Amino acid sequence: MTEAVRLDSITKRFPGVVANDDVTLSVERGTVHALLGENGAGKTTLMNVLYGLYEPTAGDVYVDGDGLTYEGGEEPDGDGDSDGLPRIAEAPQRFDSPRDAIDAGVGMIHQHFMLVDPMTVAENITLGNEPRKWGGLAVDREAAREAVLDLSERYGFDVEPDATIEDVGVGVQQRVEILKALYRGAEILVLDEPTAVLTPQEVDDLFEVLDELTDAGKTIIFITHKLGEALEAADEVTVLRDGRNVGSVETVGTTREELAELMVGREVMLETETPPATPGSASLVIDGVTARDDRGVVAVDDVSFAVREGEVFGIAGVDGNGQSELVEVVTGLHRPAAGRVELDGRDVTDASRRERTRAGMAYIPEDRQERGLVMDFDLTENGVLGSQHDAPFAERGRLDWERAEDRAREIVDEYDVRPPDAAADAKSLSGGNQQKFIVGREFARDPSCLVASHPTRGVDIGSTEFIHDRLVDLRDEGRAVLLVSSKLDEVRGLSDRLAVMYRGRVVGVVDPDEVTEEQLGLMMAGERPDPLPRAERVGDAADTDDRKRVRSGVASGEDADAEATDD
Amino acid sequence: MSATAAVSDLGTRARLAVAGAAALFLSAGALALTGSTDVLLAVLALLFEKSTLAAALRLSVPIAFAALGGIFAEKSGVINIGLEGLLIVSAFGGVYVTSITGSVWLGLLGGVAVSTLLALLFAIVCIEFRADQIIAGLAIWLIALGLAPFASTVVFGSTNASAGTTFPSIGRLLANSGLPVVSTAGVAALDALAGVPFFGALFEASPMVYLMFVAVGASWWTLNRTSFGRWVHASGENPKALDTAGVRVSRVRYAAVLLSGVLAGVGGAALSLSLGQFVGNGPTMVNGKGFIAIVTYLLGNYNPVGALLSTLLFAGLDALQLSLQGQNVLAIPRPLVRTIPYVSVIVVLALFGKTRLPEAAGEHYESGEE
Repeated sequence: MTEAVRLDSITKRFPGVVANDDVTLSVERGTVHALLGENGAGKTTLMNVLYGLYEPTAGDVYVDGDGLTYEGGEEPDGDGDSDGLPRIAEAPQRFDSPRDAIDAGVGMIHQHFMLVDPMTVAENITLGNEPRKWGGLAVDREAAREAVLDLSERYGFDVEPDATIEDVGVGVQQRVEILKALYRGAEILVLDEPTAVLTPQEVDDLFEVLDELTDAGKTIIFITHKLGEALEAADEVTVLRDGRNVGSVETVGTTREELAELMVGREVMLETETPPATPGSASLVIDGVTARDDRGVVAVDDVSFAVREGEVFGIAGVDGNGQSELVEVVTGLHRPAAGRVELDGRDVTDASRRERTRAGMAYIPEDRQERGLVMDFDLTENGVLGSQHDAPFAERGRLDWERAEDRAREIVDEYDVRPPDAAADAKSLSGGNQQKFIVGREFARDPSCLVASHPTRGVDIGSTEFIHDRLVDLRDEGRAVLLVSSKLDEVRGLSDRLAVMYRGRVVGVVDPDEVTEEQLGLMMAGERPDPLPRAERVGDAADTDDRKRVRSGVASGEDADAEATDD
Repeated sequence: MSATAAVSDLGTRARLAVAGAAALFLSAGALALTGSTDVLLAVLALLFEKSTLAAALRLSVPIAFAALGGIFAEKSGVINIGLEGLLIVSAFGGVYVTSITGSVWLGLLGGVAVSTLLALLFAIVCIEFRADQIIAGLAIWLIALGLAPFASTVVFGSTNASAGTTFPSIGRLLANSGLPVVSTAGVAALDALAGVPFFGALFEASPMVYLMFVAVGASWWTLNRTSFGRWVHASGENPKALDTAGVRVSRVRYAAVLLSGVLAGVGGAALSLSLGQFVGNGPTMVNGKGFIAIVTYLLGNYNPVGALLSTLLFAGLDALQLSLQGQNVLAIPRPLVRTIPYVSVIVVLALFGKTRLPEAAGEHYESGEE
């Protein structure tokens, strides 16, 4: 084996926290190495040490993209000394800044892309290292283009150097980030949660790109909390838990269960076992809803369904097929072009957010930092968001902060939010804890209907399990739950009925226990496999069809196409 | 129809309404009160007079330089609303140094130096001490507004001060260049060209007018073709991207703000030295030109050429307004005539004002913070 990177006994302490505790990590040249762990396990901290953003409290960093040299000859004997690693001949490296790390051949692709949106692909890739001409008086734009085309050809990337970043998709943006690192001569690429923002298709593409790169001798380290991806893309997986390396395993011959156990330190149920539902009457009725997105394109196309009391109604599909817009219509953030939304028999199509909340609708938004919380507010303040006008918090125009604090404490206790401090700012919490707090707040409204949009996105396994259990509990109390998620396991495991959306339309509503993965895959691509295990139709479906026909003829005008009416 | 589409529709309607109202106000002022086509013809004739173009060019100089400075600062992420203040101190600084040395060129340098110093103070306060850029910018204006007339009173005994000399004409510069062919042929050519109706004004303008055109071209090049321009752009759009690319954001921002001090300094000194004096009472001789500069670069969408064009539009209307006042063509009160350039700017802004602010403008950036 030829090591490209060795982190030797790294310890990193922050005031009051040990983020990395004596972590040793060895990465073989030309392989993909996954760094797996829950949120807050110290993965990103460790990589920031490698990238020169943090100086380690103790420990040494060795990096050489061409392979480290060992004491007493080039080929180590393999079995080595006590910790199984041969001794390195060179002195450890000191990275005081990312610049040093870049010079040593380490490139980092951050979770949030470091790209300048209005600039072109080539401008972004060469930023800070522009090729110049005329004695530095001008950027040599032709040379920059050439360099980008050259690189993307060599690694089989498909990028257009003159495209503007804001016009290209997330997958392309990520490639631009990778090219940026390669342009700076990176031999070792660190990718921080690279799949978090990608669609399943883009994830596959990314993994192909990683293969190309390792074939060319590059070394890849990627940080993830998703087991499946670590197993699929990596050659070796190192699991971090509570800042410690709890084991490195080769992916060949490892199972999901083993890895999961390493990650959380106990056995995890990967499949949520839900007892059968006993649904009641329809609570949330979506009737012929059509909505346009911000660009005026039809994003939700004549969608109708009903969510009954005591059931979880799931919506699956690849992100961007109208789920977000549908949720926004249901929760009152987006006005539909046509159609009705009913809650417990009341028409709430034009009702505001506040009116809907009062009518018993709770909402877990997909973007917790943007919509779920005010990051600069503490938990007490965040805990009353949405209820600030209502009893028991509002009293003759003023807020009862004592009650608000009690509420925040209750949520923190019951939902195991850490740190357990109602005065902590929302931004100081990890993603999983923020999400648990939001879930707690929404459940505390005692809703008759809950709309949960990607409730476990970016959340670690422990918290995910917890949130899943709560959703099922809510269902068992006889509430209606509308669950939207792009995680297939999640919607299949939790839903009692499952709708698949494709290009704004519901392809079909199926029984999640009967439908196969292949059938779902086809449906997510817009096809309707036959025969399909259809879920029972609900309640007033027949007469909503009639009403829809009348309405779409009158109200929706140009988009009441033939397809929409002869359904 | 989605909510945002409806909103943008509303936006267009609101724009048209504002523009319409302003245009109505203008035409009501101009025509309804006079009710005659003769007046319209007289106004048009005035518009195409050589002296109008000459005045427009002269009035453009301080605004255009300040706007260029504002572009650099704001594109780098530091909104510099202290431009007005920079113009004021450099207008006085130029006159002061000229009165001591007797040279307008040294005066120009003096004005630039004072303005750059004040810009440095602004930069330190904003970048080092994370002050709110708007408040710091206002402070710069207020400091200048008090300081320059005060200094003038201390040095010259009055809020108004004379430099004793003004910029030589471009013809004089050529004649004194010492190059025999250039001086005689150049002066002859200039004289001939200056005789051309209307456009002749371009050939008898102050050297600062030519410097303005050069500065606009150089600024465009710097912003769009050089590495530094890229960094300025990145620093205002996504400073973190620039930082991780290995470029120090604070250095880029310092450079951009100092550059805005230099450019505004040229503008301020040009303003006072082409008159040969500093006027320090009331809002001083700068009289809002720094704020107009902000409007012009916003209207020009941070493009130096666009900023120059909108500056010329404004200055042209201002020049027209001055002639209208002088010749009393319109039988309407002068204060109303004086509003013409401003009202027109509102019309133009309402109709075409689609400015996209740099993403990180006004935000402090500290390396290594999340």
